[in-house]
Amino acid sequence: MLTRFLVIFSASLFLSYCTRGSKVSENSIQFPMKMNLSSLDPAQASNEATNEVGPNINETLLQYNYLKRPLTVEPLLAATMPTVSKDGLVHTFKIKPGVRFHDDAAFKDGKGRELVAADFIYAWKRLADPKSKSEGWWIFDGKIKGFNEWRDKLTKGEATYETAIEGLQTPDDHTIVITLSKPYYQLYYVLTMIYSSPVPKEAVDKYGAEFLNHPVGTGPFVFVNWIRGNKVVLKRNPTYHGSLYPSAGEPGDQEAGLLADAGKPLPFVDELIFHEVPEDQPRWLNMMRGNFDISEIPKDSFDGAVGPDKELKADMKAKGFELKKYKVQEVVYMGINMDDPVLGKNRNLRTALCYAYDQKTPIERFYNGRAIVAHSMIGPDMDGYDESFKLPCKEYSLEKAKEYLKKAGFPDGKGLEPIEYSFPTSATGRQFGEYVQEQFGKIGVKTVLTGNSWPQFQDRLRNKKAQMFGIAWGADYPDAENMMQLLYGPNVSPGPNSANFKNKEFDKLYEEASKMPPGEARTVAYKKMRDIFAAELPWIPTVHRLGFQLSHGWVENLKPNKTLPNPFKYMKVNLEKKKALKAKL
Amino acid sequence: MLKFILRRLLYMIPIFFGITLVTFVLFNVAGGDPAAQAAGRYATPDQITVMRAEMGLNKPLLNQYFDLVTQLFTFDFGRSWSSKQQISHLITAGIGPSLTVTFPGFVISLLITIPLSLLVAHKRGTFFDKATLVICLALTAISSVVYVLAGQYFFAFRWGMFPISGWDPSWDGRWQYAALPIIIMVSLSLGSYILFFRTVFLDEMYQDYVRTARSKGLGNAKILLKHVLRNALVPIITLVVLQVPFLITGSLLTESFFGIPGLGGLIYQAIQEADFPVIKAMTIISAVLYMVFQLISDILYALVDPKIRLG
Repeated sequence: MLTRFLVIFSASLFLSYCTRGSKVSENSIQFPMKMNLSSLDPAQASNEATNEVGPNINETLLQYNYLKRPLTVEPLLAATMPTVSKDGLVHTFKIKPGVRFHDDAAFKDGKGRELVAADFIYAWKRLADPKSKSEGWWIFDGKIKGFNEWRDKLTKGEATYETAIEGLQTPDDHTIVITLSKPYYQLYYVLTMIYSSPVPKEAVDKYGAEFLNHPVGTGPFVFVNWIRGNKVVLKRNPTYHGSLYPSAGEPGDQEAGLLADAGKPLPFVDELIFHEVPEDQPRWLNMMRGNFDISEIPKDSFDGAVGPDKELKADMKAKGFELKKYKVQEVVYMGINMDDPVLGKNRNLRTALCYAYDQKTPIERFYNGRAIVAHSMIGPDMDGYDESFKLPCKEYSLEKAKEYLKKAGFPDGKGLEPIEYSFPTSATGRQFGEYVQEQFGKIGVKTVLTGNSWPQFQDRLRNKKAQMFGIAWGADYPDAENMMQLLYGPNVSPGPNSANFKNKEFDKLYEEASKMPPGEARTVAYKKMRDIFAAELPWIPTVHRLGFQLSHGWVENLKPNKTLPNPFKYMKVNLEKKKALKAKL
Repeated sequence: MLKFILRRLLYMIPIFFGITLVTFVLFNVAGGDPAAQAAGRYATPDQITVMRAEMGLNKPLLNQYFDLVTQLFTFDFGRSWSSKQQISHLITAGIGPSLTVTFPGFVISLLITIPLSLLVAHKRGTFFDKATLVICLALTAISSVVYVLAGQYFFAFRWGMFPISGWDPSWDGRWQYAALPIIIMVSLSLGSYILFFRTVFLDEMYQDYVRTARSKGLGNAKILLKHVLRNALVPIITLVVLQVPFLITGSLLTESFFGIPGLGGLIYQAIQEADFPVIKAMTIISAVLYMVFQLISDILYALVDPKIRLG
C-alpha cells in the first residue's frame, strides 16, 4: 500500500509542480458550472457538466442552428443533411472531408489524423458495449438494424468490434449508411448529442480507462488541462475544420445584433475556462467582479439583481450587465405511482390533490417568479405544446378539491391513510415537500415526507416504492416524444415511466406517433395523448422553469437555450467594451 | 519503547478489522444494493446482475470483506461511481491542496493561541481574561458557514484583498488562493483553542510545583515558559497529533466554497452524489490515520513526560 501510495503521491506532486499557472487570455470565456465535472469521455456524458464542456472538444454529425427557434437540425461533421430512402429507414450521411482529430500522443508523430466513417461506428459500438457502462445506449437501443443483436453477441463473447452490423455500414471512408429497424424521427436529434461523437480508437486504446481524462475530438477547442474540482481549460483548435457562424436566424435577430458575424469562421475566442463552482456565493461574487462572463442568477441573489418587473435593476444595467430570458424545455411535476392501490386507482382523489395545490405561491417562493404553470407534460416550444391549453385542476380551488375528495370516498380526508411523498433530500427539496404537506393539509389530507439521497430516491422509483414523488425532466431534444416516453406503458419502472402509467390508448398513440414524421398528424396525436394525460392525471404537473441568463455586456452573440449543446463557439468577446466595463465593477 | 510500539501495533490489528468490518456492513449490507446504484437509474434487472458480478458482489460476504481489506493494503479502491475516476488518484491529488491550507492554518493557530492562552491564564480574573473569554465564546458560537461566507464576501469581494475562489496548482501560485482560507481556518480555531489551552494552563498553574517555584523566587516568565508550558505539553500533544489526520482530510466547507481541489471537497462531492466507493475509501483511510496518529501521540507522551512509563 505504502509503495503504491508513495508512487502515486510523488507523481501527483510532480505534476502539480509542472502545472504552472498561466495567464488567462482576455479573449476568453470563463463559465461557472454548478456541478462538478466527472468525465470527458463522450460515452459517459450523463453528467450536466460533461455536456457543457464536452461538445467544445467532441463534435457530432449534426447540430442545432444556433439562432433558429424552434431548434432546427443542420450538418456539423456531416457535409450535408443525409439522403433518406423512400420508406424513411435508410439514412446516408456524407462526412466532411479533411476534418482532423486534435493532435495527440495517441497518433503517429502526435499529429491528429483525418476523421473517417469508421470512427463514428466505433464510438457508437462503445455506447452499446456493456463494459463501457455508458448511459447513452438508449439513443440507439432497438432503433438500428442488427445493433441490438450485435450487442447481445458481444456480451456473450460471440462478436467483437470488428463484427459488422447490418444497419451500420461504411461503404467508404466518408460515408455512413444507417438502416433503421423502424422509423425513428428523433434520429437527427440524438445525432446532435455528445454521446454520438466519434472518438479515435487509437486514443481509447492508448489511454484505456483513463480516456475519460484525455479527450480527443475534432471540435473548435482542444483540451489543455483539468484540475479536478476546480477548472477545465480548453484552447482554440489551430487545425479546426472551420464551421461558420449562421447567416440566418429568426425575426429580431438582426436587430439584436445576432447576425453581425454572419458567415464568419468559428470560434471567436482563444480560450474557454469552465470553473467547477457548486456553491452559489462564489459563483455570484466572481460574476459580480467580472471573473466569470456568463452565469445564472442564484435564488438568494435574485432580488438584489432583478426588480419586480423581472428586469435588471438600474445599478446592474449601469455596470453593463445584460439579462436574457428564455423558455426551458422541461417539466417539473409530482408523479403518482399508478400501481398504488389508493392513489393509482382513484382518479377523483388525484384530481382533488391537483385542485388543492396552489401553484402561484411556489413560483414566487421557490423560483423568484422564474417559472410558468405547467398544464401538461409537454415543455414549452416543443411540438404539441399549446399555450392555450389549461388543465382544469390547475385552477386552484379548495372547494372543488373537497368536492372531488368527497367523490373519492374520503370526505374531508376521513378514512384516507397519510400519503407518502418522496423527494431527493436537499434544503429546497424539503421546503417543497413541506409546501405540498401544507397544501394537501388544507383539505384534510395528511402527507408523510420521505427525504432520500439521490441513489435511495432512484431505488424507490425503480422498485415502485414511492407513492408520490417530486421530480423534473429536462428534454434531451426538442420533441415531445422525449416527454411522452415517460408515460409509455412498456417503459414502467425500472424504466423511465416512474409513474407506472399504463393506458392502452395512450400507448397506441405513442406507437403510431413514433412512425410519423414531424407534422400536423403527429402534433394531433401528441395532443390526444396530452388529453388522456389530463383525464387520468398520472402526474400533477407543477411548473416549466424559465432561464434567466446574466452576462457582461462585453459578451456578444448570446442566444441561450438549454437544449443547445455547443453555444460557446459562437460567443465573442468585445475587448474594448470589456476594458471599459470592467473598470466599473 | 520498542516493546510498547510492537504491543500497540498488535492492538491496532483487531481495531483495524473492527473499523473495516463496520464500514463494510454499513456500505455493503445496510446501504442498499450498490450494483443497482452503480448500474444507473434505468438499468434492467439483467444489467444489474452483470454489474453485480463485475463488482464482485455475487461473491460470499467474507470474500467481499477480504476484497475491501485488500483494497486498503494495495491502495487500490477502484473507481468512483459518479466520476469513474481512479479513487487512489483522486485521494493522492487531493492531499497536497488540503495540506496547503490546513497545515499552515494549524501551525499559525498554535503559534497565536498557545502564547495568548498562557498570558490569559496568567492574567486570570482580570478584565483582559474576562474579555478574552467572552470573545472566545462568541467566536465558537458562530457557525463555520458564517466565517466562510463573511470572509469570502468582505475580504475577497468587498475589499479585493484576495481572489474570491480558485486554485493554481503551481507551488508559487497557490498561496494567493490559499491565503484567505488559511486566515478563515485560523479564525475558526482561535476561540476553541484559546479556551482549551487556557484550561490546560490553569490546571498546571495551581499545582504544587508552581507554588514551590514561586516561593523559591522564580520569575513569572520562567515559571510559565519553563515549568507550566512543559508540564502542559501532554494535552497539547494530544490535540496537535490527533489533529493531523483531519489536516490531511481537509475542510469540507472551506474547500467547497473556495474551489480548492482537496480531499475535503472530494468528500463533500462524494456525499452530495452518494458516491459510496469514495466515501468508503475516505472513511477507512481517516480511521487508519487516526489510529496511527494515536500511536504517535502515545509515543510522544513518553518522550515529553518521563513519568509516563509505556512499558
